Amino acid sequence: MSDRDDRAPSDRPEVISLSFPARADLVVLARFTAATLGARAGFDVEEIEDLRLAVDELVVSFEAVQAGGTVQLECTQAGGEVTITCHVEPGGPPLASRDVGGEELWGADGELSKQLLDALVDQHGREHTERGPSVWLKKRRANVTR
Amino acid sequence: MTDRAARGDGLDRFRDLTDTQDPRVRDEVITSHLGLAHQLARRFSGRGEAHDDLVQVASIALVKAVDRFDPERGVQFSTFAAKCIIGELKRHFRDRGWAVRAPRRIQELYLEVGQNLDRLSQELGRPPTVPELAAAIGTTEDAVLEAIEAGRGYRTASLDAPDASSQTMADTLGSEDAQFGHVDDRSVLGAALGALPERDQVIIRLRFIDGLTQSAIAERLGVSQMHISRLLAASLKQLRASFADDQETLDA
Repeated sequence: MSDRDDRAPSDRPEVISLSFPARADLVVLARFTAATLGARAGFDVEEIEDLRLAVDELVVSFEAVQAGGTVQLECTQAGGEVTITCHVEPGGPPLASRDVGGEELWGADGELSKQLLDALVDQHGREHTERGPSVWLKKRRANVTR
Repeated sequence: MTDRAARGDGLDRFRDLTDTQDPRVRDEVITSHLGLAHQLARRFSGRGEAHDDLVQVASIALVKAVDRFDPERGVQFSTFAAKCIIGELKRHFRDRGWAVRAPRRIQELYLEVGQNLDRLSQELGRPPTVPELAAAIGTTEDAVLEAIEAGRGYRTASLDAPDASSQTMADTLGSEDAQFGHVDDRSVLGAALGALPERDQVIIRLRFIDGLTQSAIAERLGVSQMHISRLLAASLKQLRASFADDQETLDA
């Protein structure tokens, strides 16, 4: 059995792009992709579990304000770090009660998501891009310099 | 009339039932043994199934037992009925343990992952990687990842069974309750926790407010890390749903 320090995750970025309807039952696709990249990055099982929970949070919180849209997910693994960026292409009207032009875009549970992600990943954020709003996270394997 | 006879346990009542097929006698015998069904249902409570559901399963098993009982075999009805009811309750857990039916291969692999995860964590002094788990089990990394994902389909609250914990979560969590007071409940998360059962609140607090790792929580509560992982996933799902409901109410 190899010692953990002997693990040598590839430094060459591996990028997986996913696109799927914004439905909670399809988040499994995002979880599985993230877990696979986490394994390739040399994460231990617990780090992978945290990453899976974080991806749930990332996608589900977005799905809640963009029902009917399409989730665009870009997952990158390099040098023991996994980065996941989530963007949702609107495919239907946002929930009527939400103001999608302002901070409410992130959902009323944004603060809750932030608190959960704080504990699960190394970095995360939300930003407005040319493609619209996106959320992202980064998680590094524990013995990589933070 | 003895107590047993009074509650219809006497073989005479069953002979009457066999002879007459009188539905009133049948009802009387069933009713007089409902306490047994409740008692056995209670023994299976706290494993993730609603107590009312267990009582229903036990009661249906009791009715079947009454219909199948042969008074000429010389066995007390209560003994026969208890065996039938326990068997039915066990079948219920076996069939309902997986909320999303996973192939047997994956179910078995999932249990193997759990067992090896605990063992390797102890041996290595840290959680194992996926390649290490796969090597220990003799399977592929993909299969391990598939099994971990499939674990989401296992009912979180019935985890005592596969993990074979010697004590229940409720027993273990009792000592944590007293520490609730030190947590800052003014955070969004703290305020949202009220939507969860007490057990899940403890685990969420330990992970997201106190900042303990899954392994540390598992060690503290005397259960496996996979157990904690499943509970966390289910609790967060419930938390989100509850939060969304509350928000829709406020918006309305």
